[in-house]
Amino acid sequence: MSKPLENHWTAVVNGEQKHLEIAQTTRLVDVLRTHLQLTGTKVSCEVGRCGACMVLIDGEPVNSCLVMAYQCEGSDITTIEGLHGEEKGTLHPIQQAFVEEGGFQCGYCTPGMVISTKALLDAHPEPSQDQIETGLCGNLCRCTGYGGIIRAVRKAGERCALTETSTEETVS
Amino acid sequence: MLLNRKQSGKRWHLRPDGAPKVTGQLQYLTDMTLPDMIHGRVLRSEYPYARLLSIDTSEAEALEGVYAVLTSKDVPGLNRFGIATPDQPVFCEDIVRYVGDAIAAVAADSPERAALALDAIRVVYEELTPLNSTDAALAPGAPELHEHGPGNVLHRTEIKRGDAEQAFATCDHIVTETYYTPRQMHAYMETEGGLFVPDEEGRLNVYAATQHGYKDRMQLARIIGCPEEDIRVVSSPIGGSFGGKDELNVQPYGALLALRCGRPVKMHNSRKESVRAGLKRHPMKIEMQTGMSREGIIHAHRVRITADTGAYATLGAPVLNFCTEHCLGPYAIPNVDVEGVSVYTNNGVSGEFRGFGGNQAIFGMEGQMDRLAEIMNMDPWEFRRRNMREKNDPGPLNQRILVTDGLSQVWEALDRSELWQKHQSPPADPALPPWIKRGVGAAIAMHGAGLGYGIPDPAGGRLSLNNEGKIEVAFSYEEFGQGLVATLEIMLCDLFQCSTSDLSIIIGDTDRVPHSGSSTASRSTTMAWMALQRLQTPFRSRALAVASEMSDIPADELVTGPGGIWRKGQLPADTSEVETDVQKTGKSEKAERTEVAEIVAGGTESAQIAESYSGVSQYQAKLEAPSDFVVSYAELAMQGEADEWIFDTKFDYPTTPDNVVGGHYLYTYAAVAAEVEVNTLTGETKLLDTRHVVAAGPVINPMGYIGQIEGGSVMALGFTLTEDAVMQDSRYVTTNLDTYLIPTIRDIHTNLEVEAIEDLPEGDSFGPRGIGEIGSVALAPAITAAIHQATGVRVNRLPVQREQLVRPLNVPLQEGVSPS
Ligand code: FES
Ligand code: FES
Repeated sequence: MSKPLENHWTAVVNGEQKHLEIAQTTRLVDVLRTHLQLTGTKVSCEVGRCGACMVLIDGEPVNSCLVMAYQCEGSDITTIEGLHGEEKGTLHPIQQAFVEEGGFQCGYCTPGMVISTKALLDAHPEPSQDQIETGLCGNLCRCTGYGGIIRAVRKAGERCALTETSTEETVS
Repeated sequence: MLLNRKQSGKRWHLRPDGAPKVTGQLQYLTDMTLPDMIHGRVLRSEYPYARLLSIDTSEAEALEGVYAVLTSKDVPGLNRFGIATPDQPVFCEDIVRYVGDAIAAVAADSPERAALALDAIRVVYEELTPLNSTDAALAPGAPELHEHGPGNVLHRTEIKRGDAEQAFATCDHIVTETYYTPRQMHAYMETEGGLFVPDEEGRLNVYAATQHGYKDRMQLARIIGCPEEDIRVVSSPIGGSFGGKDELNVQPYGALLALRCGRPVKMHNSRKESVRAGLKRHPMKIEMQTGMSREGIIHAHRVRITADTGAYATLGAPVLNFCTEHCLGPYAIPNVDVEGVSVYTNNGVSGEFRGFGGNQAIFGMEGQMDRLAEIMNMDPWEFRRRNMREKNDPGPLNQRILVTDGLSQVWEALDRSELWQKHQSPPADPALPPWIKRGVGAAIAMHGAGLGYGIPDPAGGRLSLNNEGKIEVAFSYEEFGQGLVATLEIMLCDLFQCSTSDLSIIIGDTDRVPHSGSSTASRSTTMAWMALQRLQTPFRSRALAVASEMSDIPADELVTGPGGIWRKGQLPADTSEVETDVQKTGKSEKAERTEVAEIVAGGTESAQIAESYSGVSQYQAKLEAPSDFVVSYAELAMQGEADEWIFDTKFDYPTTPDNVVGGHYLYTYAAVAAEVEVNTLTGETKLLDTRHVVAAGPVINPMGYIGQIEGGSVMALGFTLTEDAVMQDSRYVTTNLDTYLIPTIRDIHTNLEVEAIEDLPEGDSFGPRGIGEIGSVALAPAITAAIHQATGVRVNRLPVQREQLVRPLNVPLQEGVSPS
């Protein structure tokens, strides 16, 4: 049997160019978890309902269990491992807010929540309650009852807004 | 005290597992991999009920990349498991009793190949008609699913007091109602799985989630036929459990495959498989008849509970015991006639689930109270007060229980609350369209903690000064998200005035922790607290004596503190409280960043080890180490033999002195009010506002406490409005989270207030009570009471059927119970 061609997969993952030899029908979640050992992206429902596998593809939040390798060929992918504060190794303000407000318990939904929050705050730096609900209704959490998560998102929003203002100020 | 971050002040303690969780660095046991590992999969039954005629594995075995195919012949020891009654086969031999039953397991070099191998196993069944309901299972002539009958009855319970028959005859009013509750799914986000690693010494290392590592070890040893010491179970961290991972799930298969292949085997259930094979909450039918006098005093209560325990026992019997105990509520009723039966069927297996049968019972009993109050035309809260047990009355089973004021305190606190006050003048918003109706309801509960009388409930723990100079505690509890490690940190910092960087907390590893019981039944906080009370004195006296010898300062002038032993009065001011981010944010931005960097670095390192929570404290940002202590813990630890620094304790969870099996001694109390909005065009109910009042003793960990009540409450919201693992002919119809609907962030009550009543009687030696379950038990009846106020419909079946609440616009809403 001849070897199927076109199994090279390239993408930028967390800022690094990656080249892999994989079947193009491999799900992105498996590319990340199995081939790249980025296990911060979780699997839970595998049908696009829970958001545990959420990543950013070119800045958009996407359930990585629903995406095939070929569909994100050449994309810029950010997983939870790619999120950090100003310097690598520091917490992003969103992550910091989740820690401070008790926005997690078992933590299994947390990477996906944080990623969705990132997308939400990128789009709406000061989100309304309704925007928070819309932004995060694709992420299920069974532990927290969402209370801590909402408080964390609000706080992160305030912080991100602050950071942004201060950056702008420095620039100007 | 209204519990929130602001009120908690310095006790708002950041969890040590925060940074590794929010960065994705924490490796769960299902994330673990090893270079030479292979993949395990389980073949489950095609039918809910069938005879197994033959199993042919030859084709599967012949496949390339397949390392092992196991069936019942390959189980060296006992081919059964189950915490209480081991009646569930590891692999079925001749009969399958539900769709989750395992027939074979394979290990192959990729998950895809393992799936192929499953397809290649040829099984011939003789299909039988499943017993798809408790009625079918109890019908005369029904086939017996287990030999240990009689019939298909797993367990029966009974409480008889006074003469109910006669009392009913004299009652002025009797309310009769039947309540139905759903097959709720735990829906933990991390499905079952883990890594199973045989080592060179012939030991098996099991990295898989459980609520009680030692119990798993015992059961696995029995299955494998080896000494327990040959197995090490590492069981934390866990991506949620809620009772659902208390039984063995993938462990027998992972363990047997790893031993057969001599290689690490990874298992990870898909969600569909998890639904199919996993435990659920017992669906129950609860028939209640409650009679009262003209004055509104309850005289008689008759209850018949039928629980569908599914194909295997697991904790079906204790769950029924708990339900039976709790179906009397916190009320003094002289004439009681309760019978419960737990029935084997071919439906999914029901077992342990947060609330443990209390949720079903309380929904029924509180529903009765509302119906009775309505007949009396009385405020339902006042009606409850009239019938409430007195402080010194015996417990529901007539057993002695620990006296506290909890019940009247939660009653009063809720009575005062603004939300409940709204009930008096039903909230009407003229801005709302006429089909939107609002109402407020409330419910109260007492909830037993611990396993109850007559069930072994050992506790204990170990406190030591380890050779790195850390104050180390070890318990066989597990962290499944509830915040146990944070709570332990707070307790230890409170006890020794030390800082979190002085601590080492070890849980979830049978090689490293003593047997101190399970993390179930809201017991861990109390047990850990009681253990530390017993251990602190010997530990402290030795530490101070040795420090005194080293420093020539009399021991009674010394105290433990951050970093080591201090002279009394010289402790740095802020260490008397646990460090919080309030302090941290007081520091400069720069300093904060450095701490965070340390946190993440620690996380990565530990994620690689990922063996237990030991050393998890290293994530906690360090206090600027004050160094004015007399002797450091590290110096102390070097004095004498290492084992002189180890202190152990063993005791049992407190139980009632009275011989009533399952009867509890410690109870927590809760009152809940809920405001709902019902759209009578769509039947949709939206929960707008809730207040939970909880009396469970001192709040050790406010963040954890709020989280547990909020989480429990939202889980109860699902139980009430949307969740049901529907079965049709004993097969799951709702097989994943797209059809089994747990609340999302859109569905929750964003106004959720938690009020904690911290009083305990003076000299109480049991300390803080666990609150893992109490937030989940009383919301359902509060919501259905609110729905009644909004619409006039009395709901008796959960989840609430929307059809029941839909009304054509021109028809006035009817009073009365829906026939469904
Ligand atoms: S695993 Fe991808 S959405 Fe649930
Ligand atoms: S924290 Fe456990 S699922 Fe969200």
